[in-house]
Amino acid sequence: MARVVNTSLLQKIKKHGAGSSLDVSACFQCGNCTAVCPLAEDSGGFPRRMIRMAQVDMEQELLASEELWRCYACGECTQTCPRQADPAAFMAAARSYAISRYDFTGLAALANRSIVGNLLVFAMFSAVFSALLLSRMHTGGPDLPLFHFLPGEWIHSIGVALFAVVGLSAFFGVASMTWRFWQQRRSEGVALNLGALPAAIYSAAADALLHRRFQQCAAESGADARAAQPWYQQPWLIHASVMGGFLAMLVATTLDFLFKPIGSVVPPWYPTRILGAAGGLVCLYGLTFVLLRRKQGKEHPYQRSSFADWFFPVLLTVTVLTGLFCEVVVYLPSPTALGHIVFFAHVVLAMDLVALLPLTKFAHVLYRTLALALFAWRHAPAKVAASVHAEA
Amino acid sequence: MNTHVSSDFTPDAVIIGGGIAGLQSALDLADQDLQVLLVERQSSIGGHMIALSKVYPTLDCASCITTPKMSAAAHHPNITILTNTEVEGLDTRDGVHHVRLLQKPTYVNFDKCIGCRLCEYACDTEYPDPFEEGLGAVRAIAVPFTNAIPQKAVLNAEACGTCGTCARVCPTEAIEYDQQPRRLTVRTDAVVVASGFNLNAVTVKPQYNAHRSHNIISPLMLERLLAPHGPYGRVLRPSDGKMPSSIAFVQCAGSRDESIGVSYCSRVCCMYAIKQAMLLSGALPLADITLYYMDIRAFGKGYEQFFQNAKAMGINFVRGKVARIDPVEDGDLSLHVETTEDAEDPLQERRHDMVVLAQGMIPGWQPADSTPVACASDGFVATPALTAPTATTAPGIFVAGTAAGPKDIVDTIAEAGAAAMQVSQYLYQKRSSVLVA
Repeated sequence: MARVVNTSLLQKIKKHGAGSSLDVSACFQCGNCTAVCPLAEDSGGFPRRMIRMAQVDMEQELLASEELWRCYACGECTQTCPRQADPAAFMAAARSYAISRYDFTGLAALANRSIVGNLLVFAMFSAVFSALLLSRMHTGGPDLPLFHFLPGEWIHSIGVALFAVVGLSAFFGVASMTWRFWQQRRSEGVALNLGALPAAIYSAAADALLHRRFQQCAAESGADARAAQPWYQQPWLIHASVMGGFLAMLVATTLDFLFKPIGSVVPPWYPTRILGAAGGLVCLYGLTFVLLRRKQGKEHPYQRSSFADWFFPVLLTVTVLTGLFCEVVVYLPSPTALGHIVFFAHVVLAMDLVALLPLTKFAHVLYRTLALALFAWRHAPAKVAASVHAEA
Repeated sequence: MNTHVSSDFTPDAVIIGGGIAGLQSALDLADQDLQVLLVERQSSIGGHMIALSKVYPTLDCASCITTPKMSAAAHHPNITILTNTEVEGLDTRDGVHHVRLLQKPTYVNFDKCIGCRLCEYACDTEYPDPFEEGLGAVRAIAVPFTNAIPQKAVLNAEACGTCGTCARVCPTEAIEYDQQPRRLTVRTDAVVVASGFNLNAVTVKPQYNAHRSHNIISPLMLERLLAPHGPYGRVLRPSDGKMPSSIAFVQCAGSRDESIGVSYCSRVCCMYAIKQAMLLSGALPLADITLYYMDIRAFGKGYEQFFQNAKAMGINFVRGKVARIDPVEDGDLSLHVETTEDAEDPLQERRHDMVVLAQGMIPGWQPADSTPVACASDGFVATPALTAPTATTAPGIFVAGTAAGPKDIVDTIAEAGAAAMQVSQYLYQKRSSVLVA
């Protein structure tokens, strides 16, 4: 039986890569990348197996591979690849491709493939949110309080609707990945025990929050330059501060939404205000290093940057900066015209950020955590009693 | 053996390098009644080949093939040999090559030295023997090795403590502590660059941690361990003298790896590793021998059969590039490798007593720095004409052997013969055109 191998998958993934120099076709499967990877485990084949899947058009297998997301791009494989096929950049491109495929709207594919597409999606969402806000905007002098200028209730209503839509979209993405995973493992004859799922989800969440494997990635990697970095500049800590800061701001915003009367002015020591401001500063600390390292482009995971790699941290940085600015403006005697403009921008950008969550690099929040859970689930010890019973 | 060169000496050809390529070219030219000057940087002719144990695919003794060639060259009336001599530069004026030579002092008058070795026996200073790849020691004044040519003592000024013992015991008063470097220029019509190769260092790939273990050795070290007249007379691992029971060959450790800047294939490593594995299984019949490879390139006459024989002998061939080597307890080594043909459990950590890294061939000399000869991007002498593989970019200068790129002994000897033929043809045409004019 003739079997035709379609090589277009590799080309499609390359479009998601940073720069045209990504030449993963050079890979001849020597296995160096997997053997050098500090995170590869006995199941083996990662990242070499991912590259093989892309080379021979095993799209279903690739998209069902939770292993794709277990890579933290330490770059050890790229540094030692005898063919300079850049496995780390391939893994990043394949994750971007996966985000596009899990998303059913097609917007992610548009945003992740090209600069124009990325800006187009961003402009579209910005225009929608701006139009919605402008429709209920009050004009007045520079003394107009911020939450009168843009009515707090209206912002909340848009926010609730936005979270509902994004939540639905994220659910479909997560379901898409889970379904592919389920089908693939079933076809491979892997026994999945539903009872082990809660423990798997718990371990994945703990891992994601504490950056356990990310730390392992830095500690075991042989890259001397990275090992010589002080602890406060380690990649895992940079990521942890961005994530931790963001979560603090998210919690603060949610608590404010639930408990703080809309438009009320609270003193600076108000708990959620402190939490939000502290979160913003911690987040900024991490983002500064992220942007700096990307600018330097010397080391992984910041060696190669696609536009999408830049877009997400820049958007987050601007959102945090405008937010912190607004925090200050609130306590000024008069918001001033600049205050109004920055507030407007902050609200729109924050909404963009949420809207773009399932579509951009931000989606790794969903898929990486899910992948960790799926991996733990797959490797959970099978329910021995049940299988014995079934055989009987 | 002619070792005297005066400034009016104008040989028909100068051969740069006295390894197997240079020797073959020199003999082929001298047999056509042409006068040849052979220039060698080391203290003995013979090159890398004289240090090898056996050669593939016939498993002939390397010394037994090389020594007759060395001896034939040394006794040939048309061949003059200068050892301890470097080529400082080469200028071509009106079709004549002016080869600038630097004769380094040996502190021994070769006319007086009779090779009796009394100085060597009396000397009490030793340093790591370069001929044994540092595995043994040699006296500060010594004949370079047993079958060296010329059989003359050479004093290593860096190791010598100038105690004067050698001068006292020398029966012919050959020791000259005040020898100075000597520069001379030789005019010739044709040159053969046969400057050979070096291996890159075992430390070239940091992931292999060769600087942290004596038991990660270079292939030339293993050649010496396997040689019948080697440093220990048997195969022992360097760190503690233990007889190794598990030996790994790591292929492509110094070539085909863009991360260390050597992207080309060194062409000989697969075959010599297979040969060494075979010899090892003879020397250590109980040892496990594993060869880690990306693909086996056994491309020459009889080579594939040689590879198949090795597999049949029980040598383990594992497909997968070794990614990392870590020294572990007891001087052993842990290799991290994905065994890509093993579907069940590919990612493995394997322990071995001793590891041989297949280092890559790099050029032994950079002629482009001081001569009109151009080098290609890989650093080897450029041979732009497909139909004249021994012709360089400079008229009248030819190249043979690994100076032009990695190749094995069989190909080197064939190419050296071809270069000699090109030289004699060039000389004939040049001289007949002069006669006609």
